Amino acid sequence: MQSKVLTTCEFCGCGCNFYLGVEDNSLTAVYPATSHPVSQGRLCVKGWMGHDYVNSYERLKTPLIKERGKFREASWDEAYKLIADKIQQTKSQYGSDSIAVFSSAKCTNEENYLLQKFARAVIGTNNVDHCARLCHASTVLGLSQTFGSGAMTNAIGEIGKAEVIFIIGSNTSEQHPLVASQIVAAVKKGAKLVVADPREIQLAKVATLYISQKPGTDVALINGMLNVIIAEDLLDKEFISQRTEGYDELKELVAGFTPEKTSEITGIPADKIIEAARIYAKGQASTIIYSMGITQHTTGVDNVISCANLAMLTGNVGKESTGVNPLRGQNNVQGACDMGALPNVYSGYQAVTNEELRQKFEKAWGVKLPAEVGVTVTDAINKIESKDIRTIYIMGENPIISDPDSNHTEQALKSLDFLAVQDIFLTETAKLADVVLPGVSFAEKNGTFTSTERKVQRVRKAIEPVGLSRPDWKIITELAAFLGYKMEYDSPSDIMDEIAKFTPSYGGISYDRLEEGGLCWPCPSADHPGTPYLHKEQFARPGGKGKFFAVPYRAPAELPDDEYPLTLTTGRIAFHWHTGTMTRKSWTLDREYPNGYVEINNNDAAKLGIRNKAMVKVTSRRGEITLQAKAVNTIQEGLLFIPFHFAEAAANKLTANNLDPVAKIPEYKVCAVKLEGV
Amino acid sequence: MSATRIIDKKKLADFLETLSSDCEVIIPTVEDGNLLFSELGSSKLEDSFKGRPIVSPKEYLFPQKEKILAFDTTDKVNVDIKAYTNDKKRVIWGIRPCDLHGIKTLDAIYLSDFVDTYYQARRKNTIMMGLNCNEPCETCFCNSCQTGPFASEAYDVVFTDLGDKYLVKVGSDAGQEAVDKIPNLFAEATNDDEKKAGELEEKSKQSFQRKVDVDVAKQNLPESWDDALWAEESEMCILCGGCNFTCPTCHCFNIEDVQCGEKASIRMRYWDSCQLGGFTQMAAENTRENQAARLRQRIFHKYIYTPDKYDGAIGCTGCGRCIEVCPVNIDITHILGRVASK
Amino acid sequence: MIENIYVPHLMTITKIRDEAENVKTFTLEFKDSQIGKNFDYKPGQFGEVTLFNIGEAPISITSSPANKGYLELSVANVGKVTSALHQKNEGDVIGFRGPYGNGFPFEEVSGKNILFVAGGIGLAPLRSLINQMFAERNKFGKISILYGCRIPNLLCFQNELDNWAKLENSEVLLTVDACPENDWKGNIGVVGSLLPNIDIDLENTVAFVCGPPVMIHFVILDLLKMGFSGDNIITTMERRMECGLGKCGHCNIGEKYVCKDGPVFSYQQLKELGENI
Ligand SMILES: Cc1cc2nc3c(=O)[nH]c(=O)nc-3n(C[C@H](O)[C@H](O)[C@H](O)COP(=O)(O)OP(=O)(O)OC[C@H]3O[C@@H](n4cnc5c(N)ncnc54)[C@H](O)[C@@H]3O)c2cc1C
Ligand code: SF4
Ligand code: SF4
Ligand code: SF4
Ligand code: FES
Repeated sequence: MQSKVLTTCEFCGCGCNFYLGVEDNSLTAVYPATSHPVSQGRLCVKGWMGHDYVNSYERLKTPLIKERGKFREASWDEAYKLIADKIQQTKSQYGSDSIAVFSSAKCTNEENYLLQKFARAVIGTNNVDHCARLCHASTVLGLSQTFGSGAMTNAIGEIGKAEVIFIIGSNTSEQHPLVASQIVAAVKKGAKLVVADPREIQLAKVATLYISQKPGTDVALINGMLNVIIAEDLLDKEFISQRTEGYDELKELVAGFTPEKTSEITGIPADKIIEAARIYAKGQASTIIYSMGITQHTTGVDNVISCANLAMLTGNVGKESTGVNPLRGQNNVQGACDMGALPNVYSGYQAVTNEELRQKFEKAWGVKLPAEVGVTVTDAINKIESKDIRTIYIMGENPIISDPDSNHTEQALKSLDFLAVQDIFLTETAKLADVVLPGVSFAEKNGTFTSTERKVQRVRKAIEPVGLSRPDWKIITELAAFLGYKMEYDSPSDIMDEIAKFTPSYGGISYDRLEEGGLCWPCPSADHPGTPYLHKEQFARPGGKGKFFAVPYRAPAELPDDEYPLTLTTGRIAFHWHTGTMTRKSWTLDREYPNGYVEINNNDAAKLGIRNKAMVKVTSRRGEITLQAKAVNTIQEGLLFIPFHFAEAAANKLTANNLDPVAKIPEYKVCAVKLEGV
Repeated sequence: MSATRIIDKKKLADFLETLSSDCEVIIPTVEDGNLLFSELGSSKLEDSFKGRPIVSPKEYLFPQKEKILAFDTTDKVNVDIKAYTNDKKRVIWGIRPCDLHGIKTLDAIYLSDFVDTYYQARRKNTIMMGLNCNEPCETCFCNSCQTGPFASEAYDVVFTDLGDKYLVKVGSDAGQEAVDKIPNLFAEATNDDEKKAGELEEKSKQSFQRKVDVDVAKQNLPESWDDALWAEESEMCILCGGCNFTCPTCHCFNIEDVQCGEKASIRMRYWDSCQLGGFTQMAAENTRENQAARLRQRIFHKYIYTPDKYDGAIGCTGCGRCIEVCPVNIDITHILGRVASK
Repeated sequence: MIENIYVPHLMTITKIRDEAENVKTFTLEFKDSQIGKNFDYKPGQFGEVTLFNIGEAPISITSSPANKGYLELSVANVGKVTSALHQKNEGDVIGFRGPYGNGFPFEEVSGKNILFVAGGIGLAPLRSLINQMFAERNKFGKISILYGCRIPNLLCFQNELDNWAKLENSEVLLTVDACPENDWKGNIGVVGSLLPNIDIDLENTVAFVCGPPVMIHFVILDLLKMGFSGDNIITTMERRMECGLGKCGHCNIGEKYVCKDGPVFSYQQLKELGENI
């Protein structure tokens, strides 16, 4: 007999819902939820066909302990004890801050909450972070500074009703298919679409205007648009005067960004910049959609701020179908941030440096908590060499493939005193671990994910954990017990109750309420309906006003030169997810894109004598990979694109660990490379 | 066949429960606002409902993924091969006329020439009880495809919702046998009942929001082969496969060996989608190299190839699922409309 | 119990021969000799070969039905299944189901001159037909075999090519696209370039063309230019296949399934089917 379990998709931040068909403890079918406001009975190919990994033979089924370079199976208690001993040891010898914990945007809110609690209350360090660092750390910072809240301002469903949609640095159809669905619907209804991207993405085909900026020149482009809007008096003066501050500085700075000057920097013709500014500013409801093309730069925070400037200047925020909408990649990257899997905040972005808030959590958790901000994922890796970080505990991440400069990451992890990894597969990272703990997939546990539109939704257990694997939340509580700290919860629902109690924006969220459907935070009380769009009456910043920041243009850190004459940008494709650990186990997804490839402009290919589909070598200062060339006319000349899912042609062997100075996000979107035939 | 009967709505549950004593009974049910097929017993019988579940009942005959063979090579020479069988008896109640017709199309494909072992086993053990559509949904156009809204064939039993009771027509011996299990639940239908059903059918036919001139579209399709419309209509396709997966007549599958032990694997077959590039990928080339060709294949397969190959009936039931499921609104009725107006 | 059309038969690999660079020829015998006795096929038919726990691949039968008791398959190593097969040893067991497809016309072309044009591994299915024709030699007129490969190392069935050339009223012409090692004395050029070298009685000749899709495409154009009628050009279609039974839909072209209604088609039939060749 088959049962059907309603749950939330484990891949991207769209947060689609579907039923999983279950028979004999395995997943046999998928049924899209027709009543779900984002899915509406539709899914992308990952939602339909991506779940084969759950029942894969390669799943980790028992804890593993490495002895003399080889893994052996171990009991849970044995593994826990070893990890607990090592943590104790490191702690007493080198202090709590020599330990770092990486949480996971794939895991549930409850698990992220517990893991940051584990780091702070059990280990005693704020060294907890997760891969949001690598995708949207700049969003969190940029939007907090300008609006006071680092998330998508509006709901996905509102995009369908927008008048103007400005997409910058998001290949929406590939990365957030069900958001692209809203955009296509809006365009069909007559909305104007402006796409700014160095690659002519699929949505560019239906765009009113497509502009192609040089990689890393987004600040200049937006400053140029601001310049036009001010010069042509297309701004919303009332909004600026009543709801914002800092306008004068902005005005002064962007005065220098005339269309001509902007054109020089960005490579976009001046008249197109003017046109883009006009279309955006004239819309009654204009919405900005961006993703990693904005955030993954050394100017990531500046890029985000620029988007916020643009929205505020035209009063396009705080209303339905407007706003600044960062599309968060992972299914629960929003939630992992919300839960405080970040080195500077507890759940709900409550600063660890705030005395009062810290005391609240000290009381709640019954321990003294560290007051200093911890290290980020990227810093932690860098601090291994100096022996400032000696032990790392990783839950559900594969930094070797996902972090920049893979070779360096791998070397660093190898030189740790101790590495413990909790995962569902023996990933490239897990292979380096001293202890591996088998966690479970989204289908084997209860919990919640928070989608990119800040919507908290239920994940429901469909099958029993495979082998001896255990739900990740359980693993954390059991490991805590070995370290002498009691975490007692009967179920993830209990954990959510604790989250609600100490997290104002999640205050009204409970499993009972989620049975009726998802809730968008802020949802401060049990009778609060949730908040589909933010900043309605006032901004979430202290004082309630939005703040303009005048951001000057800075060029990317590594520009092409004679030796490395091409620019490389990296990203995702619709068929794979992240490092491919899950999606590459689905025959469909693997068949469609079995191998890595590099996109190159037809003209560049011709100049280099490279035929379409020929094997080529791409080299940067950090490494080289060999893969197939895909000659296209949809990418700028001088630019290459490589999807980062393929371990054997890992794009991140090439990327540089150049970080945004504030957000510490690596510049995945620009590095200098050369390409040659093999 | 026997005369038309009626059954009180309240007694339908009794009827189905009786049947469930020796087989699985599947019914459509609404859960959290989603219409799904589900097993009687674990879900409630709806008093009335509109539309059809987003995934068609073909999956009870041709599952989304199905184990077909098991291999064990522990003994290298005497490799153990086990074939899975399925003899579960099933009644599916509430199949819409479009889906009844879809199963008829699948029968033509799977039960001709090489008889598909797995389909046949399931088909033999399945009794199909239809439910006519008093109210078509927004994406349906079965009327244009002459498969609905009321069923005229391909059912064992078919029900028409008359408000507080159902009109019941039997279409096969198996259906008769099922109805005869508890004859006292059924009463003879009156002329009024039949008349009312006729009126409902007329009314339903009048309320379609979509219409396709199938004959003209079919006639014009061959001419449209090189038309720009295929590229235009397919340009936003995100390759989700949903149009194929939900279609009641799509029969394509992929075969994969999935490891399940050190030296053992299960040969599975999975629903596949001709909208995906890998579907026709070969070592040196792809025989359908762009999305335009793939969309064209989907439409031609339904409207030209299937009727040519089998009994002349088109392979599209007009159920509208491929419209509803498409994230980027690629709309078969719009495409056929364009073709028809050339 | 009805017969399960998906169950492969076990076959033992009795011989493995290196045929050309990256190509091996496998001789197979049914483990159950009863099945072997009843197994009959036509040249041009193929089977689905199972490498247990790896997968299936469609492979043409290259031996001739005139030789009873065993099957031969010549396989290029290109991917998952074919590379697993290449790793097998004599004595190992694989799975096989078939024969599938329509096969080449035989009686229908008796009395005619026969022109074979093959490229690369495409000679494998033709070899079956060629050997069957030589086995019933008196049914056919002149037999011409034109065979080309990218480079000399890729030429398959070299011994047989030599033998065929020696047989009465037959000719064998070889060519390679290029010769990097400079050890090739024969013709250099695509296989179509051999066509002007032979005498052809257009009315009375049937051409069989088999090879990579591009090669087929150009050879057919050449033949048409020479004046061949579409009915007298016979070719095989390669398509991605899964079931081999006309069910899985992968090989569909028009109302045909290449696995079942093909893979052998006349050019005339293909033209009517519409989809590009
Ligand atoms: C009727 C027919 C007869 C054939 N006869 C022979 C033969 O005699 N000798 C021979 O060496 N090859 C033959 N082939 C080709 C052979 O089937 C493919 O090379 C083989 O399926 C590749 O399988 P794989 O698992 O090794 O490769 P994979 O790892 O699956 O893929 C390697 C490449 O082959 C392509 N491919 C995969 N499956 C198929 C398929 N079913 N059909 C075509 N391409 C595919 C893939 O797209 C990929 O590019 C024949 C094909 C057909 C359709
Ligand atoms: S769009 Fe995202 S959430 Fe929806 S099915 Fe695809 S991966 Fe899952
Ligand atoms: S093609 Fe579309 S409308 Fe026709 S039967 Fe299939 S899903 Fe229904
Ligand atoms: S449902 Fe739409 S987007 Fe998905 S494959 Fe079909 S046509 Fe393409
Ligand atoms: S291979 Fe399955 S239909 Fe031809």
